[in-house]
Amino acid sequence: MNFQLRYLTHYRYDRPVTENLNSLRVRPATTSTQRCDDFSIRVEPEARMTRYADYFGTEVTEFGIARPHDHLIIDVRARVVTSEQAEPPAAPWEALEAPLYREAGGEFLLPTGDEPEDPAPLVELDGELDAPTPMDTVHRLVELIPDRFVYDTEATYVGSTVDDLLAAGGGVCQDFVHLSLILLRRRGIAARYVSGYLWAAPDDGSTDSVEVETHAWVEAMLPGEREPAWVGIDPTNRRLAGETHVKIGHGRRYADVPPIKGVYAGSAGSHLEASVQMSRLDPAASARP
Amino acid sequence: MTEPTLAPAPADYPPGRFFDEVYEPGGTPRPHARPLAAELGRLGPGHLAAAGRRRDAIFMEQGITFDATGEDEPVRDRPFPLDLVPRIMPAEEWAEIKRGLAQRIRALNRFVDDVYHEREIVREGLVPWELVVTRSHFARAVHGIRPPGGVYCHVAGCDLVRDADGTWKVLEDNVRTPSGISYVLENRIAMTRLVPSLFRHYRVRAVDHYPQLLLAALRSVAPAAEGEATVVVWTPGPMNSAYFEHAFLARQMGVELVEASDLVVRDDVVYMRTTSGLERVHAIYRRLDDDFIDPLEFRTDSILGVPGLVRAYRAGTLALANAIGTGVADDKAIYHYVPEMIRFYLGEEPILANVQTYLMRDREQREAALARMGELVFKPTDGSGGKGVFIGPATAADELAGLADLIRAQPDRWIAQEVVQLSTVPTADSDGVLAPRHVDLRPFAIFGDDIRIVPGGLTRVAMIEGSMIVNSSRGGGSKDTWVLEDSGEPDDRGEPAAPESLPPVLPGLRYGGWSNQHQQQQQQQGR
Amino acid sequence: MLARIAQELFWLGRHVARAEHTARMLDGVFQTDLAGAPEDPRGVELTWPGLLAILGARVEGLVGRDDALAQLTLDKDEPASLISCVARAREGARTVRDVISADMWEAANTTHLVLNRDDLSGQLLSSPYSVYRYVKERSALFWGLTARTMLRDDANSFLAAGGRIESADMVLRMLRVALPVRGDDEPRTGQAQALLQAVGGLQAFRRAVPSPPNAVPASRFLLYERSYPDSVAASVASALRSLEEADPQPRNSAPVLRLSRLSAELEFRRRGDDPSTDLVAVCEQVQRELALVDADIAGRYFATSAPLIPSGAR
Repeated sequence: MNFQLRYLTHYRYDRPVTENLNSLRVRPATTSTQRCDDFSIRVEPEARMTRYADYFGTEVTEFGIARPHDHLIIDVRARVVTSEQAEPPAAPWEALEAPLYREAGGEFLLPTGDEPEDPAPLVELDGELDAPTPMDTVHRLVELIPDRFVYDTEATYVGSTVDDLLAAGGGVCQDFVHLSLILLRRRGIAARYVSGYLWAAPDDGSTDSVEVETHAWVEAMLPGEREPAWVGIDPTNRRLAGETHVKIGHGRRYADVPPIKGVYAGSAGSHLEASVQMSRLDPAASARP
Repeated sequence: MTEPTLAPAPADYPPGRFFDEVYEPGGTPRPHARPLAAELGRLGPGHLAAAGRRRDAIFMEQGITFDATGEDEPVRDRPFPLDLVPRIMPAEEWAEIKRGLAQRIRALNRFVDDVYHEREIVREGLVPWELVVTRSHFARAVHGIRPPGGVYCHVAGCDLVRDADGTWKVLEDNVRTPSGISYVLENRIAMTRLVPSLFRHYRVRAVDHYPQLLLAALRSVAPAAEGEATVVVWTPGPMNSAYFEHAFLARQMGVELVEASDLVVRDDVVYMRTTSGLERVHAIYRRLDDDFIDPLEFRTDSILGVPGLVRAYRAGTLALANAIGTGVADDKAIYHYVPEMIRFYLGEEPILANVQTYLMRDREQREAALARMGELVFKPTDGSGGKGVFIGPATAADELAGLADLIRAQPDRWIAQEVVQLSTVPTADSDGVLAPRHVDLRPFAIFGDDIRIVPGGLTRVAMIEGSMIVNSSRGGGSKDTWVLEDSGEPDDRGEPAAPESLPPVLPGLRYGGWSNQHQQQQQQQGR
Repeated sequence: MLARIAQELFWLGRHVARAEHTARMLDGVFQTDLAGAPEDPRGVELTWPGLLAILGARVEGLVGRDDALAQLTLDKDEPASLISCVARAREGARTVRDVISADMWEAANTTHLVLNRDDLSGQLLSSPYSVYRYVKERSALFWGLTARTMLRDDANSFLAAGGRIESADMVLRMLRVALPVRGDDEPRTGQAQALLQAVGGLQAFRRAVPSPPNAVPASRFLLYERSYPDSVAASVASALRSLEEADPQPRNSAPVLRLSRLSAELEFRRRGDDPSTDLVAVCEQVQRELALVDADIAGRYFATSAPLIPSGAR
């Protein structure tokens, strides 16, 4: 699919603030199934921007505004072409023990550090994931999470832990991903947190442009014929990731790939408005009557 | 030259089963310690006790204090406990330690560089990658950043001990923000004032050039034209237990002592706020952990620190000492691999040995260690200052059982070590009576264009009989550490050598004032 | 120099000066109180409640001598007490001990330690004089060491400026409380020896002014006499000099401009020999100007960071 994407963030401050420094992880990555053609960031008030690739390979854009200002607009535009991921390889559980797999999985095999104090709920969920192959377990996980937890933006906040999700019985994509990572790694499947954008249009193709939000899903690594492959899975939406998913980057957890992270100096509160507008550009997409 | 009297050990000085650095097992003083033993005998307990009281008063007045936290007591200022009996180290012994330390620090520095770049030591299979990436001080934010000169560990303090046969061993490495150097300098000054007679038979190497070495090292790595680098010391603030030292070093180096609110980053350059606007900063000697330096990079929940500092560091406009991410090298599980590092990076055999250490992440080593918990010391891998350490022989059985559960739950976070029978040195109690007390040694090294080590270091002493806990945060004291200038028998240098040239003849002093003149006139008239 | 350090030094200067003046006033009022009413008409009112007002201390009911002495000297819960003031000075000195000389820090620290000795409350009962004398001496020691051992740099200037502005403010406060409010036609006569004693300027007054130490000449002396170091005019002039030295561009400096205007005005008033001038009103006006100077100094030299607030988008 071919998208035009606009991610607009608007902060308003009660009183002028200074020394407003931000790090953005918003640029769609270029991967084997995705290509970012055009990319631009505009900031108001104007600021000099610098870029670098972080430890996990995500492009980070940084800027700072020193002088007093009462608002901040971050306007991100990108054009992305995506394609469906390849059919996931069906390897047996034993393949997870191979040294090549362990090495490729690296730190995405280790405990996340966010494991709940009480393992009982995990053990119970884990019991539902028994399956003949790792890929079957992945398929079960994609069903299990939305079966057990409701999508509820009020139940958790940006700093919530997996314990909070288990206690509340609901949460958002970020929480579902954090739980999925623990469950997959418990079974020796390497798994990582993915931040990105999701094309969430009605299936009937009735529209070419929708307002969406930044999204999070999981990539699990499955042993393949020659080498292991990362497979995108979206427990929030009960399916594998596909050409509707535009990836920004990955990390061990949310804190490794937050879209916007900032600090400012001042005694003022702030009001935030954010929107992600996605439009399909493929001529074939216009399925309107 | 008069032969110093051979004073035997005081009658009530028990020889003990440990290595005593002053008295041989029979009670005879070791050769280099004979003049000291004789002088201590001459002074007697009364004099030592009186000098001790003067010491406490002076330290309180000068504010040379340490915040000691008792078990249930509030934090309070108390004079830093300096024992008045020095610890003496012959020159050749020190030379060996110095070489061993420089070798070790060079290897640790290479390791930090390797870990954030090629990871050769991991690829060679010498250090497991899981261990590296799970260290709590492993800093992903500085992956791929190489600081000026490739120096990461500008300031290092390794803790050394002597075991039962007197062999020096490394107990742990400190390459984050080791503290204690100010006490080394202050102790020396206090000793020359309180017990000058002890120095009479010795030529002791000076320690007071440390701040100049540090400043030179910071300037040498600062990204600025020669002679133009602005260096600052960054302290967490007056509430920090080592604040005295931070202020001391800033004062001695003649640089500003800043707190986070003094610094600001604009366009990847660090400035400090001054009375005449912003002034650029090139090098920061920071005395706080990575977690608290930049809220944009570390500790997302924290608003401590200077936002953007890591940006400036990444852009190469700033030198940070120590570099970000050095904590991965002084982790106690990594410590186990330091001898391997020395062989791998330097192609040398380690000069100083490690204490026998067991990694709890290794199943076999863990089970063997847990089977004899009562004989071993257990340490969390990322702690410092003796926090969270369990000494098997001194810990109750039920407490050890609880510890075993903790270790099994997080084996990556623990190591075990054989108990080292620390050496002893005579130490005065409040009545001036000498008794053997256990000591360790923290020498301080500075790495700028080269590695320099201040002679001696901080000798820490457990003030309680039999105790091996020397940490000043847990009631330990300190001793002035003397590295002797030359080898061989100490001499008596009571009389200074005759000067080579005579002083010039100066005009006589005049005495002014009307009454004075008047008196002189009268005296002259009266003659 | 660092803005934060300049601010600490300025306040260190203020606290040391405040401790000294507090000790002088306590001593002065204590003596006046013991001496009883003079035969001559009294020109100034220096009483315990007055002293509490000068120092902005809390007032609970009628205040007697012993209560006031205890409250204003060794009460750690009383922010205006001598011991609190010395403690603040010591904390300030601790923060800037790498900037001031070691001797100065030790002087401030030792004063604090001595005032916190257990036996001091007994000494205060038996001989208040010795306690106040100690603080006055220690303060003199501090300033003496400053002159002899501290580098004459910006840091020194801000320390001195703080000390002088505090001195001026304390003398003004004392004058405003001590000069009784009267009808306009009633001249302020009556002797004011106690006032001069409380400032520590009785001897200087006798050498400099031929008239007897009555209210009007004494007040004018304490306000305008530049040759007396603790007069308001001398303090203002000296604070002005300090800031001129510290500021690379004094001509553009709001506090420098305001102080030089104030200094000129005090000199102008000294020359204008109008005995009918309402001195209390003058004191009020000068004190208002000094408050503005204080704000100007903070604005120009002590700009520090606002608190940091994290932001982000989910």
